[in-house]
Amino acid sequence: MSHKKGDLKVYWNKITYAFPILNDNIFSDCTNAEYDEVQHIIVGLGVQIKIRDLVLIHIEKHLRQHVAPKFWSKFIKVNEDVRGFQLFKSAVNDLYEAVSSFSSMMCRLTILNNSCNDNKPIYGEKDVVLGFKQLVRATLLSQLPLDFQVIINHFYKISFNVFDNEYENSDMSEDIMCSGCGNEYADCNCAYIVKVFHETNRKLMDLQLLERLTGQVLTNFIQLRIESHIQKLCTGTFDVSHVGFLENWLDTTVMSWLTRIYCGGSSKPPPDDKNIQNAISKFKQKLRYFLYHSYTKLRIDQLFNIIIEYPDSQPAVDDIKFCLDKTDLRSTLCKKLQNALETRLLHSGVNTPDILTAYISTIRALRHLDPSGVILETVTKPVRNYLRNREDTVRSVVSSLTEEGAGSELAEELAKYTGEPEGDADNDEAWDEWNPDPVDADPKVDPKDRRTSDIISMLVNVYGSKELFVNEYRTLLADRLLAQSVINTEKEIRYLELLKLRFGEAQLHFCEVMLKDISDSKRINSLIHQDSSIEELNKEFVSNAMILSAQFWPPFKDENLELPDEIKRHLEAYTKSYEALKGNRTLSWKPHLGNVNIEIEIGEKKLDLTVSPFNATLIMHFQNKPQWSIEELHQVMKVPVTVLRRKITYWQTMGLIMEKGSDYFVLADETENKANVSANQVQEMICEDEETESVMASAHDQREGELQVFWSYIVGMLTNLDSLPLDRIHQMLKMFASQVPGTECSLQELRQFLDTKVRTHQLVLQGGLYKLPKTIGLR
Amino acid sequence: MAQNINPHYASSSNPAKQNEDTIKLKDNHAVSKRLQKELMELMRCMDKGISAFPESENLFKWIGTINGPLDTVYAGHKYKLSLEFPNSYPYAPPAVKFITPCFHPNVDTCGLICLDILKDKWTALYDVRTVLLSIQSLLAEPNTQSPLNQQASYLWPNQPAYKKYLDDFYNKHKDS
Repeated sequence: MSHKKGDLKVYWNKITYAFPILNDNIFSDCTNAEYDEVQHIIVGLGVQIKIRDLVLIHIEKHLRQHVAPKFWSKFIKVNEDVRGFQLFKSAVNDLYEAVSSFSSMMCRLTILNNSCNDNKPIYGEKDVVLGFKQLVRATLLSQLPLDFQVIINHFYKISFNVFDNEYENSDMSEDIMCSGCGNEYADCNCAYIVKVFHETNRKLMDLQLLERLTGQVLTNFIQLRIESHIQKLCTGTFDVSHVGFLENWLDTTVMSWLTRIYCGGSSKPPPDDKNIQNAISKFKQKLRYFLYHSYTKLRIDQLFNIIIEYPDSQPAVDDIKFCLDKTDLRSTLCKKLQNALETRLLHSGVNTPDILTAYISTIRALRHLDPSGVILETVTKPVRNYLRNREDTVRSVVSSLTEEGAGSELAEELAKYTGEPEGDADNDEAWDEWNPDPVDADPKVDPKDRRTSDIISMLVNVYGSKELFVNEYRTLLADRLLAQSVINTEKEIRYLELLKLRFGEAQLHFCEVMLKDISDSKRINSLIHQDSSIEELNKEFVSNAMILSAQFWPPFKDENLELPDEIKRHLEAYTKSYEALKGNRTLSWKPHLGNVNIEIEIGEKKLDLTVSPFNATLIMHFQNKPQWSIEELHQVMKVPVTVLRRKITYWQTMGLIMEKGSDYFVLADETENKANVSANQVQEMICEDEETESVMASAHDQREGELQVFWSYIVGMLTNLDSLPLDRIHQMLKMFASQVPGTECSLQELRQFLDTKVRTHQLVLQGGLYKLPKTIGLR
Repeated sequence: MAQNINPHYASSSNPAKQNEDTIKLKDNHAVSKRLQKELMELMRCMDKGISAFPESENLFKWIGTINGPLDTVYAGHKYKLSLEFPNSYPYAPPAVKFITPCFHPNVDTCGLICLDILKDKWTALYDVRTVLLSIQSLLAEPNTQSPLNQQASYLWPNQPAYKKYLDDFYNKHKDS
């Protein structure tokens, strides 16, 4: 079939009439009927494919050269929100119009494509319209400018303000400004803005550009909202669980916003549009994760306070536990909590009992949070290290163990303890509830240890030695027993029994003997008082002795005190009587311990006091001779002058003794002291005895003694092996001196010990190696 | 000698066929315990002039130190020895030899010692402390009848010459 040249020209004109894009034009009045003819011509010529491809190339060119640049030209950096709002709106409008203007051409192209029968995909899509949309998106995004988010930001900021306002329904009737658009109510812009907002969103959705262009901005805004909502809801309250509320809030409020944005204003997603539903559900997942994440983060920041308030704050801990599984904040939690503990707890400004209380609630809270105990182990490591360095830790623990009444959680904990933990049978039963240890667990530690160890053993483990604890308990018990004139042995025995359950009989045997000493003393006292010779003496005053088995009591501080002769005579008689009662045994008196009840008569004034033997002796000397110099007192009492000077202040505050001239004391005489005594009436009650310090040698002193045992080993080691580094010495001691009692010794402790030896020239430290100086060694 | 027989071996009906290894394992613990006790005793007593300590983590190898007895030619000298305990200790004597070269009639050039209690006269009642004390007294009273070192044995009667030679020898070798 041949065509004339003129025919072809006519055909071409008709084709360009149907597809004006071939002449760089878009609009054409071509009707469907007219196109049918053109279609016929094209098919007749057999050039469907060629025409189609040509049209597509032209469309592509047009989009690239006109539509995209025009769209992006609106995306400039502007500062005013309103301008940004308008710019974005008009950009989207123009784009939408430009794209819609292709619609009639697209219809024709579809018909043309259908006649091609080559099944060639158009820009990856089978359908021409879809392919065209794909092309639009691709072309636009290929020219994405750098600051495209600026005006989008403006746009959404304004819209969200209005939007929020609409949903909050906040009651602000007295406000003349609309909190949505910032204008006066009279010319409130909200309705317009909402309309534009939904319109724009709908258009973007239609172009499938919503996600890509505004997703980031939208997410940011919503996340900000979530964060501020969480902040508002959860600060300061730990006793309510918030996860449920938050989830609910997200599902209802936030999701209805989203739906409205995605669906151009309607609150229900169109059930048939899979795209929108997908987009929304994806968004929801993202937001839900974000919700957990920011909530957990907030809670982690507050975790220290939560722990302090535990168990009242248990709902908050539950929340964290729940969210921790959904987020990967575990290591953040460890790090943050550790920091919080270090900055808020572990410094010299905090009392040891407070640290202990916090430590205990940390143990409880974290045990609840993470039953495997791994977090607890990691987090509390610095606490344990710190407590180890505090001198009064053991004392605090022991005293809170035995304290009664409110606040002594440890005492309750002790009473709860029922001996051996449940057997393995239970564990086998619950095999299906088994969980592996978290990844950050220390593989060297038996997971069972982590799970089962209770609070008291954790505290005891701070030192790694039960013995130290038992020793300290013994010292405290000794102090208590000696300080009280009336002893509640029953209570002490009860505690002892509880402690025995935990620490074992052997360790507490000494304490048992101590308690028995006390009850024995009572018996012996009453027996001795029946002795006739003592009865004679008792007319003057009654003395009761506390008979202690020296072997079992902790060592006493050595203090000297020469008692007045009459007292000594009395005590000697007591000793004789005791010797008669218990053959082969005698008493060795500790004159500085105990209590004295004295009655002082000055003029018509009578004072009843309970004081230390020291103070009693002091005032007794004044009974016979009203004036003493400190030197003379030193002679009779055999007590250092400095101590005397310190102790005599007690009687000075009582107004019984006055210092006349330096170091010269006189008994205050009646006339003067009348006023004084009455003034001191109140004080008399208060300052029963100023001495509350322990009479026992401190644990530190005892430890020093124990370390001396090592010394012979160290000398033996260095004599034979010449010179050794610290860790080798430590290792050797651990290997060979481990059965010596009380010789658990940390590397650090050993270093300190060796350093003191170096200072006293008993050791030489050379290049990290310890050795004996030439002169020692074998003597 | 009855004392030198491990009761384990003695009581078993067929001592020859006893599995050596199991005995060793069982005994190792007992021997360790005994050595540990001896060490504690030694550290507690701190005898003058003798000392010993495990060389490393191995409780069966000790280093000992002996000071030359006062008022003898060996006064002021210090000798290191090595002690190795067999698994059958204390039913068998430890192998003791000088590490510091020692010029003595009963000590050879390798440091081996000729002392009856370390050989046939050994009983389980001896311990590290008594062994070291015996060697210390051997320094003062050598047995010149059965010398390992002929030269020392010849020189011994002439004490001033012996001392002179000994001091030279000691100063030359003490750090080796």
